[in-house]
Amino acid sequence: MNSNRTFHYALIMLFGALILQLIPMSGDWVLYKPNFLLLVMIAWMLYFHDQYGLKFPVIIGIFADFIFLTTLGFHILIFSISGLILIFFHRIVVYLQLIHRVTLVFLMILLAEFIGAAIDSSIDKQLSIKGVVLLAIISAICWIPLDKFVGHCYSRQK
Amino acid sequence: MRKTFFALLLAVLIMTLDSYTSIFESTKSNISRAIIPLQLVANFPYKVKDWVGMNTTSRTKLEQKNVSLEKERLILLGQLQRSAELAAENLRLRQLLNATELLMQSVLVTEVIGVSPNPVNHTVTVDRGTSDGVYIGQPVLDAEGLMGQVVQVYENYSKVLLITDINHALPVQVLRNGLRSIVEGTSDFNLMTLRFVSPTVDIEEGDRLVSSGLGGRFPMGYPVGTVSSISQKPGEKFLQINVTPSAKLDRSRHLLMVFTLKDGDVARDINE
Repeated sequence: MNSNRTFHYALIMLFGALILQLIPMSGDWVLYKPNFLLLVMIAWMLYFHDQYGLKFPVIIGIFADFIFLTTLGFHILIFSISGLILIFFHRIVVYLQLIHRVTLVFLMILLAEFIGAAIDSSIDKQLSIKGVVLLAIISAICWIPLDKFVGHCYSRQK
Repeated sequence: MRKTFFALLLAVLIMTLDSYTSIFESTKSNISRAIIPLQLVANFPYKVKDWVGMNTTSRTKLEQKNVSLEKERLILLGQLQRSAELAAENLRLRQLLNATELLMQSVLVTEVIGVSPNPVNHTVTVDRGTSDGVYIGQPVLDAEGLMGQVVQVYENYSKVLLITDINHALPVQVLRNGLRSIVEGTSDFNLMTLRFVSPTVDIEEGDRLVSSGLGGRFPMGYPVGTVSSISQKPGEKFLQINVTPSAKLDRSRHLLMVFTLKDGDVARDINE
């Protein structure tokens, strides 16, 4: 599988993540909806960090800011920090078991949510610790099929 | 390392620029418009669910629903007769008092086709736009109460800012005694707050709040919410008053967009 093909897969997955992100959810369920764009970014950065450098999270971050209607730069910051962590720990992470990778994603979602809450603190919005933990758990579960798929693409490219 | 520093600096710079200037507003508006077709695609599962529900309902259930709707219609028609009588009386009294303005509203039914994916931003996209006469600032209701106002209009779609959005404030009055205040959103669909209310004022739990019409944006008298709790923290000058919205902000799919008519139209409307 060549790098051009993986890029097409990445684009298709980003489009799918965008649609999932836009599906309306009622009530408090919206608080527990995973950030699918962040999950896709983590998956591709984890396996293809040499092809998708720091530009990738920055571009998806800009994209996410427009989709989520947040202050421009909010998601760029969160996605860049997440991307940076993945680049730093890539050599270790790629050899981890699935359960460890899921734990890593859980921790990264927690970190992303806390950074978001720190930036959002200016609008007097209270952070629900229970809600954030639940969101991180749901995100980690949703990440498993993503990991399987991107891992499959990675092994085929190798 | 230099790239990382540059990315983080770029993020902070853009955030500062976007927070304190409006240079990105037009770009945001254009992209927001481009996303609407994607929202329609994302709304497709709900359309399918509605279609399946409509096509699999049994005849008995439909007949029962029809009977119940017919009863409800009769009750509402009865109430409407009384309402028309009161409106006519109100008009006559206002004319006697030489009141400068009397407003009445007609409505347009619309459907929610998209919801903001960001839990902090409470906006919805509806399927009516400039081609239907929708304008910026237009009030939007559901069957229970005030939902919000139109903030962006396109040809066939518009964006509605809900009253629970953190950036939204609305002038209200207590139905029981006419006490005026301002209710603000908190980014929680079930919670709004009344700010700067002195501990000496006459307000109780269970008091119903309606729009006061001050500011001219929202028409007077539409239900906004109910006072759910009143407390005062030690050392605080003002009361902490929580309000539960009347409208089902996170569940309603069919909304009403209010058009305000002036005196002449009112007279015609009542005569009809």
